Amino acid sequence: MNDNTILFLEGLCAGYGSGDVISDISFSLGRGESLCIVGQSGCGKSTLLKAVLGIFDLPKITGGDIVFDSQRLSELPPKRRAELVSSGMGLIFQTPGAAFNPIRSYKKQFIETLKSHGKYDKNTFLPSVRDVFARLGLEEHERILASCPYEMSGGMNQRIALALVMLMQQELLLADEPTSALDAATQRTVADELISMRTDGLSQLIVTHDLALAAYIADRIAVMHRGKIVELAPARELLDAPLHSYTKALLKTAPRLGGELPAAAENSEAYSGLLTELSPGHFVLMEVQHGQYTER
Amino acid sequence: MDSILNVKGLSKSYERAGHKTDAVRDVSFELREGEILGIVGSSGSGKSTLLRLICGLEAPDEGHIYLDGRELPIKRSIADKREMQMIFQDPAASFHPRRTIASSIGDAFWSLMGRGAALDLDTLCLEVGLSPELAQRYPRSLSGGQCQRFAIARAIASSPRVLLCDEITSALDVSSQAQILSLLSDLRNEKSMSMIFVSHDLAVVSTLCDRIIVMRGGVVEEGKTEEIISAPQSEYTKELIASVMEI
Repeated sequence: MNDNTILFLEGLCAGYGSGDVISDISFSLGRGESLCIVGQSGCGKSTLLKAVLGIFDLPKITGGDIVFDSQRLSELPPKRRAELVSSGMGLIFQTPGAAFNPIRSYKKQFIETLKSHGKYDKNTFLPSVRDVFARLGLEEHERILASCPYEMSGGMNQRIALALVMLMQQELLLADEPTSALDAATQRTVADELISMRTDGLSQLIVTHDLALAAYIADRIAVMHRGKIVELAPARELLDAPLHSYTKALLKTAPRLGGELPAAAENSEAYSGLLTELSPGHFVLMEVQHGQYTER
Repeated sequence: MDSILNVKGLSKSYERAGHKTDAVRDVSFELREGEILGIVGSSGSGKSTLLRLICGLEAPDEGHIYLDGRELPIKRSIADKREMQMIFQDPAASFHPRRTIASSIGDAFWSLMGRGAALDLDTLCLEVGLSPELAQRYPRSLSGGQCQRFAIARAIASSPRVLLCDEITSALDVSSQAQILSLLSDLRNEKSMSMIFVSHDLAVVSTLCDRIIVMRGGVVEEGKTEEIISAPQSEYTKELIASVMEI
């Protein structure tokens, strides 16, 4: 962890009461960096995101710690922790429409959200919205503000949710499968907007099962399997030269435009060991056997 | 390959608050025996409506659907339904949440085949790569991929000749998606089943399908998969291909 670190997870374990769903998760996220967590359904990606946010009753953190903006969250009183998290972290969900009240105008919902975080200024609200919408390529900001979410497509709702995160001026965006519910063209638009927001300095922790999205937007990729990170590396390095056998198998399942039918491998093997740095920035889960680290 | 399904001049529009929207506009194509035909397009391009019209879940405003040269009526007979089965996007929602998978598959099978027909559930489960014990569970205790494979089992139980797949891998992770694609490919190879595979994911479609139709209300472009991917003719198809994010 250094001064440029916005988020640091240190041996984080969390679960829903009957055992940990994620265990020994450690990584740091730099300011203005985009880290994608990829893996199969049920591998613990969303649980990790909820544990970092910590605003839901579950999952319970059972071990390790989270350092956000140089503050160790476990040492903060609950109220202070909630304030820090809600003012510093924004969350967008897989189903963009579900994040808004469908029959209440965006304007009312934007104002309510900004007010509840003490960030509403009547004089600057409309110019700020106009500016943010323009940066996201959303035209006619007054018409959009007067509309209700049910009138908009999934892609528009997701872009408007991103606009709200920008208005909140949060430092870290947590995104849970932000493009899964969108068609290909809209996925690309939202992905381009995420890249643009990162360029503007917004750090991003993005959970997805879409390897192509991760390849497109991430600076680094972490591969999760059965609650553990099995490999973490710069995106291009992990995709071009994966080291862990699970990562290799996962990459073979990804469809490629005009390519062969993807391999249908099923992997229920549980891996254990320590996340070990094999080359600068490239971590792989390794087991100690006969005094030496080895991948299973 | 002989043609098994012919769609001619199919149109469907919806009217809402006095505003008419053409969902499907004068669509014609053929599906050949043992062929997997992909239909791609962005949201709202009419792909799913087209499948619902072919399956008989909705009536077209205009046009005709022929199976083996025989025109299918708007109200389908049980025999017609047996020939053509549809699989939906949300695997869990396509099963009754308070009934076991076995019970749901049985209901669908006997409604098509008659009460006296023998259902070999174990063989059916093995055909889709699942343990027969899993069929005794409820949908909520299965993964999305497992549910979708059971949805395929239910669809093939009556040995249909045509499978209509509506975004059936969109809600799945890449591993489950790969298993479903492999299963569909096996069904085509082993049972000569013909399929229409609707998806917004051009990469997925390009790995599975023999031919592709690009839709935007009407048919924008149609051709062999490799031709559509390597030499698209329409601007819309070029945009769709350009929007694909690659690893």
